[in-house]
Amino acid sequence: MEKFLEFKDVSFNYFTKKTEFEAIKKLSFTVNEGEFVSIIGPSGCGKTTILSLIAGLLEPTYGQILLGGKKILNQDIGYMFQRDQLFEWRTILSNVTLGLEIKGKTKISDEMERLNNLLNKYGLSDFKQKHPSELSGGMRQRVALIRTLAVRPKLLLLDEPFSALDYQTRLDVCDDVKKIIKQEKQTAILVTHDISEAISLSDKIFVLTKRPAKIKRIIDLDFNDNLSPLARREDKMFSSYFNDIWRYLNEER
Amino acid sequence: MKKDNKYSTKYLRFLKKQRLDKITTKVYQILLLFVIIIVWEVLAQTKVIDAFFFSCPSKILTTIFELFSSGNLTRHIFITLNETILGFVIATLLGTFVAILLWWSEKLRAVLDPYIVVLNSLPKIALGPLIIIWVGAGTSSIIVMCVLICIVITTLSMLSAFISVDKEKILLMKSFGASKLQVLKKLVIPHSVGDFISVLKINVGMSWVGTIMGEYLVSKAGLGYLIVYGSQIFKLDIVLASTIVLCILACAMYGLVGIFEKKLKR
Repeated sequence: MEKFLEFKDVSFNYFTKKTEFEAIKKLSFTVNEGEFVSIIGPSGCGKTTILSLIAGLLEPTYGQILLGGKKILNQDIGYMFQRDQLFEWRTILSNVTLGLEIKGKTKISDEMERLNNLLNKYGLSDFKQKHPSELSGGMRQRVALIRTLAVRPKLLLLDEPFSALDYQTRLDVCDDVKKIIKQEKQTAILVTHDISEAISLSDKIFVLTKRPAKIKRIIDLDFNDNLSPLARREDKMFSSYFNDIWRYLNEER
Repeated sequence: MKKDNKYSTKYLRFLKKQRLDKITTKVYQILLLFVIIIVWEVLAQTKVIDAFFFSCPSKILTTIFELFSSGNLTRHIFITLNETILGFVIATLLGTFVAILLWWSEKLRAVLDPYIVVLNSLPKIALGPLIIIWVGAGTSSIIVMCVLICIVITTLSMLSAFISVDKEKILLMKSFGASKLQVLKKLVIPHSVGDFISVLKINVGMSWVGTIMGEYLVSKAGLGYLIVYGSQIFKLDIVLASTIVLCILACAMYGLVGIFEKKLKR
């Protein structure tokens, strides 16, 4: 596998009226193509800032962020937020086509077959003409994922996308989302503060230090490839990974 | 509708009670109106109140009828309606447009903020004499008055609706590479439709206030003029007749907005 996303000595400073502070200092890491990486760290350590930097919503103060050796373009990125952010006035189908509509480059009709397939495959075929309020929280989050995948992003960014769901739904959606991401062979970066979630979903976990954020540990997860997130939670290695990460995070308090 | 036998008798009773509640409310509302009219009429007929000062329903009705048959009332209604609708439309469109400009440029918003605060707190009627001098004593100054009264609240309400859009939704649009115009068209405007309807409803009331105020100041015709004229010659029948016609027109306009709302929500 070759280097896909590269952070090269990236620093980011926040400016406020009173002061300037370092959110991230000389952060370097790489993510390979097809990998699912979770970033976990003490709260307020700048996790979301890292995603915003990758997405180009913020510019690094110093350093470089490269995707496939080039500067990241807006169209390379798909971003999924804490809440699904579906537009209530649009049907499910037209929510899914929102990104394509905005980019306006590819004709929506060309992608329609693929989107219909995605919706059918993930249990949304009967809901295409419905409005978001008629769907459950889990279904809404699946729609949000398909909306993101519709624009064929090279890199998928997930900003605690399950935190607004209740626990039961959360486990289900976690399984669904992982399945979709795996089947579509999507490279993804997840930001979370939920240790179990990170272990159950990822190939690799970056544990960050407290602010200014640096990489503290990189943990390669060595589960059987066929285990679903839920099955991973029952695997005997799960608790040892959990304890390790718990310890690392506690050192950063 | 599903067949009745699918539900328990208790549920059917519950539905019946709900329907009944609705009907009785309506009946009481209508009853109240009749009671007011009858008591008023009886008090006037038995000379408990002086019909010269308080008029009475029968006299108001004959006045409305007389004014109608002489063709005068239709003319007055048409003039006032024309001014109100023009003022309403101009204020709503212009106010929304200004709100869009202010949403678009944060700098402009910051610069104009104190001016808007002053404009909002200023009683617009105080500008009446100035408007008459600048615009001329006629229909146009009445419309300007009406626009002035509606526009500030329109702009402020629409702006606060625009700004209330979820920040994450804007980030979502940006992550798709949306331009500012796309954010406006695909997110901010559809998001604010509900608030726009509320503004329309507020403006129905406000535009009548504006027009009647304007007519008090300068007019030679219209319902506001009729009210002033009636009071000057001490014909309270005319004053009350015009007021009631005004009431009916305002309600009708409100009803139209309601129909528009239903269409839009479907």
